[in-house]
Amino acid sequence: MILRLPTFIIVLGMLLSQQAWSQSRYTLSGYIKDASNGEVLVGATVYIKEIGKGATSNVYGFYSITVPAASYTVEYTFVGYQKIEKQITLDKDVRENIELPSDSEQLQEVVVIAEDEQTSKVQTVEMSTAKLDIKTIQKIPAFLGEVDVIKSLQLLPGVSTVGEGASGFNVRGGSVGQNLVLQDEAPVYNSSHMLGFFSAFNPDAVKDTKLYKGAVPSRYGGRLSSILDIRMKDGNSKDYETTGGIGTIFSRLSFEGPIVKDKGSFIVSGRRSYIDILARPFVDILKDGGALNFYDLTAKANYSLNDKNRVYLSGYFGRDNFYFDDNQGFNWGNATATVRWNHLFNEKLFSNITGVYSSYKYELQFGDDARNRFNWNSSISNFIFKPEFSYFVNSNNEINFGAEAIYYFFEPANAKGISNGQPTDISLDKRYNLETAIYINNNLTINDTWAVEYGIRYSNFQYFGPGTIYTYNDTIPGKRKTVATETKYKRGKSIVDYGNFEPRLSVKASLSESSSVKASYNRMVQYLHLISNTTASNPLDVWTPSSNNIKPEIADQYTLGYFRSIGASKQWEASVEGYYRETQNQIDYIDGADLLINEYLEGDLLSGKGRAYGLEFYVQKKKGRLNGWISYTLGRTELKVDGINNNKWYAARYDQTHNVKVAAFYDISKRWSVSADFVFVTGTPTTFPTSRYVMQGILIPDNASGSRNNVRLPNYHRLDLSFRLEGREYSRKGKERKNRDYWVFSVYNVYARKNAFSTYFSQSNERVAAGQPLQSEATQLSIIGSMVPAISYNFKF
Amino acid sequence: MFIKSFHKQLIVLFVTASLFYSCEETINPDLEDADPKLVVDAWLNNKVEDQVVKLSWTQPYLENTLPTGVSGATVVVTYDGGEVIFTEDANAAGTYRWTPTDVTSADVFGTIGRNYKLTVQVGAETFEATSRINRTVAIDSITFEFEESDPQYPDNSYTAEFWATDPVGKGDTYWIRSYKNGVALLKPSEINVAYDAGFTAGGNFDGVTFLPPLRSVNPDEEDENDEPLSPYEPGDSVYVEIHSITLEAYNFLNQVIIQTDRPGGFAELFSTPLANVSTNITNLDPNGTKAVGFFNVSAVSGMGKKLELE
Repeated sequence: MILRLPTFIIVLGMLLSQQAWSQSRYTLSGYIKDASNGEVLVGATVYIKEIGKGATSNVYGFYSITVPAASYTVEYTFVGYQKIEKQITLDKDVRENIELPSDSEQLQEVVVIAEDEQTSKVQTVEMSTAKLDIKTIQKIPAFLGEVDVIKSLQLLPGVSTVGEGASGFNVRGGSVGQNLVLQDEAPVYNSSHMLGFFSAFNPDAVKDTKLYKGAVPSRYGGRLSSILDIRMKDGNSKDYETTGGIGTIFSRLSFEGPIVKDKGSFIVSGRRSYIDILARPFVDILKDGGALNFYDLTAKANYSLNDKNRVYLSGYFGRDNFYFDDNQGFNWGNATATVRWNHLFNEKLFSNITGVYSSYKYELQFGDDARNRFNWNSSISNFIFKPEFSYFVNSNNEINFGAEAIYYFFEPANAKGISNGQPTDISLDKRYNLETAIYINNNLTINDTWAVEYGIRYSNFQYFGPGTIYTYNDTIPGKRKTVATETKYKRGKSIVDYGNFEPRLSVKASLSESSSVKASYNRMVQYLHLISNTTASNPLDVWTPSSNNIKPEIADQYTLGYFRSIGASKQWEASVEGYYRETQNQIDYIDGADLLINEYLEGDLLSGKGRAYGLEFYVQKKKGRLNGWISYTLGRTELKVDGINNNKWYAARYDQTHNVKVAAFYDISKRWSVSADFVFVTGTPTTFPTSRYVMQGILIPDNASGSRNNVRLPNYHRLDLSFRLEGREYSRKGKERKNRDYWVFSVYNVYARKNAFSTYFSQSNERVAAGQPLQSEATQLSIIGSMVPAISYNFKF
Repeated sequence: MFIKSFHKQLIVLFVTASLFYSCEETINPDLEDADPKLVVDAWLNNKVEDQVVKLSWTQPYLENTLPTGVSGATVVVTYDGGEVIFTEDANAAGTYRWTPTDVTSADVFGTIGRNYKLTVQVGAETFEATSRINRTVAIDSITFEFEESDPQYPDNSYTAEFWATDPVGKGDTYWIRSYKNGVALLKPSEINVAYDAGFTAGGNFDGVTFLPPLRSVNPDEEDENDEPLSPYEPGDSVYVEIHSITLEAYNFLNQVIIQTDRPGGFAELFSTPLANVSTNITNLDPNGTKAVGFFNVSAVSGMGKKLELE
């Protein structure tokens, strides 16, 4: 079957192109860019008026549309840009690169979904996606005024978090580790700075983001619940430009410009936090070599070799440092590097070949001196090779196919302890894995009513020696399993080999020009697992590959949605989507599981089933002085694991029944604008004890029925506000200023609600005299318990 | 598990990092009602002193009173060669004692590797548990250290460490119990358990000196403003005991640490969901009253030292 699939692709391709050759058709193709800085525009529209056919530019700004020979009026549009109309005679294949001037004259800026009327959300087959461009992200009020990609996504339907400070995000009831976060095609294994307070991406270097919550095209795979595709800016290919900002937490600086004008450009961006510098005089522990900081550096360059070839290089390095002194502390961070080569075989066949290196690493150390210390680091690294092809058969038919190979190298723990001068190495076996996939996807518009996108992905996962493999006795469900056998494998020897077909299907039926119904099914398979049993995901969580004991996680998701645009100029857009997802081999943990530096980790893991279902309502006003959106998600996420909650279904930690988000943007005047967001979420489930008992002078909580997540925390709600003041466009003398700047004044948690992150039960910390009862108490923790004002100054020149 | 010992240090950092925005409040939530379970607190050892088994009922979690003792039970420990009967203390309901002499203590607990069975009869119900006495290890010395500026403690503090070497052979498990001026250090943050000289079975620290975090035997002392105090002052004394425990008891105590050591604040980000700790007490009638608690028999080594300035 593996061998047959490529044959199938070739045959299919030939059949479809046969069809294309049978008429006299020509192809109009090219790149669509921003006239001011040469950035390619993703999702810009090409529309041929006479025949009512259109196409959109892909993530590299390339479009291709094949239609019968004739003379046409072609419209190029992109939200926030001026429309360009061209008369084009297609008596041969035509190459037309277009630069759209931005729409700066108009006051309103368009928010979120950047599709235009002809290819609005209503008319494409795509569903369960959300696109946020950086302009919108920059307007959303953020914690401590730091523009934040991930936090902004959490305002969209179906996306949530378990609380402030938690790393990552949850999509449609999936866990944090079930999201694939790609930055210029490179997987980012931990998307947060400072636990989960800030996201790892520098907003100055981000162009746009797209989140797939369902109906995932077959070119993506490897995670169960979502794919977040973050594209970095290419850099200004016309002029040198410096942008930056001084915020409460970070200072940012970016420099971009042409390598050769209109042929290539670069951008370098950096951020660093400086609380430790500010706090050093006041905080004792930062005195002797202590550190508390985070920074990241993003760089990218691209160059068009000629009309048919363009190369991109991008890299990212981010790090968080928490140190008491030179010997004690920890750090973590991601590093990625991506090389891409866009090649046009001809007007219809676009290809991109990507090579990626990506790694996530953390390191801890503590101890007094050289004779007594402990060092530990853990990492995941991978190398990816990914050739991808898009074949634009005609204006109604596009085929994407390609392959992906990922080589993983895991270091679960390199750990060394020196006790009283005696060193002991307790490192765990490294793990070597290869994940490969091939896929084909066809996006076909059948007629004005029907469109389908269907595809299949075949993925394979291999675990190689050298390594020691354990099997475990399944004794009592929910209790630590004991080792049954131990087998050593030699280098290169295959230990496990998993293969899965992942079918994907989406169907759209237009009910009218302004409304449609869509449905989809997809299967996703996940071979890497984020091992985390803490309340919130955190930087010490370890990724571990599938093995003889850990089966690949598999999810089947079904969605059904109704999409509608409202108003004469279609400035309103509304949708309702329902989803149902079942997962197999979902990982859970025994009570008291020991997940770090544990050779027998897999004996502490449990495997269960999950189900998540919900309804997402979304209304968006796209234009006007007041714009924004309201989203409401009604959802449920449950797990069923032998040995937990008496083997009955229980609500997952990230289950939120009601989830309401409102984001509103209003232009007060030419210089002042205000943004607000409001969040209301049902309290997340947690476990409370019923009883207490004392053992050897220690107070121990007990839940008499042994249930998990039997109560909910109080509901979470919060309002944030942000005001933006644009600097003057003209100098006092009436000249237009070359420098642009703006101030952002923001308040997070405006009415200072103490939203509960958790409630914990403990004995009070006083020592109790003999014969006196121990005091138990319940404590509610609010990570953010007050209103948080912030100010930032941003500039560009 | 070792991350627990690192926690305290992390917390100091995170509290600094929390920028003073976080807040904690004591609340009084409604908790579900539950039937009481029998609590068996039976940790015996080879010290020549009163051996005690305490029986009580579980209470509602937020009820801050002394537990109700279970009177009139029979408590017997049997082993291959004899039995020991515990008698209820007339002045303390639910406390059952056996007072050994040098000779009887050696008779009962003197053989490393011996197995024991605890039988508790309450009314018509019989509860049982088993344990085994494992080898312990002698303490070589105790040292005090002057900490001029350790971020965990106020400047110019004194800390104590004991020194001992785990014997070769994997799978020794210990509970290190310490006393300051005769008061047992039993706050959740002070529970100190070891697997060989390290923290976990997967850790492989066999036959070496106990790792530094395990060696430190410092009370978690705070003033009324929750600011840490120096663990020891000149004139204070420390007494350290290494109790051998079974693997089950080691697992139990680790679960106890996870469930009870809740320093709050940002450490909550690293905490795991509340779950019941294990027990080795079983009711012979599986449908009868449930029991919690633990039975363990330890061999104990000990050493003390007073902090005196030269």
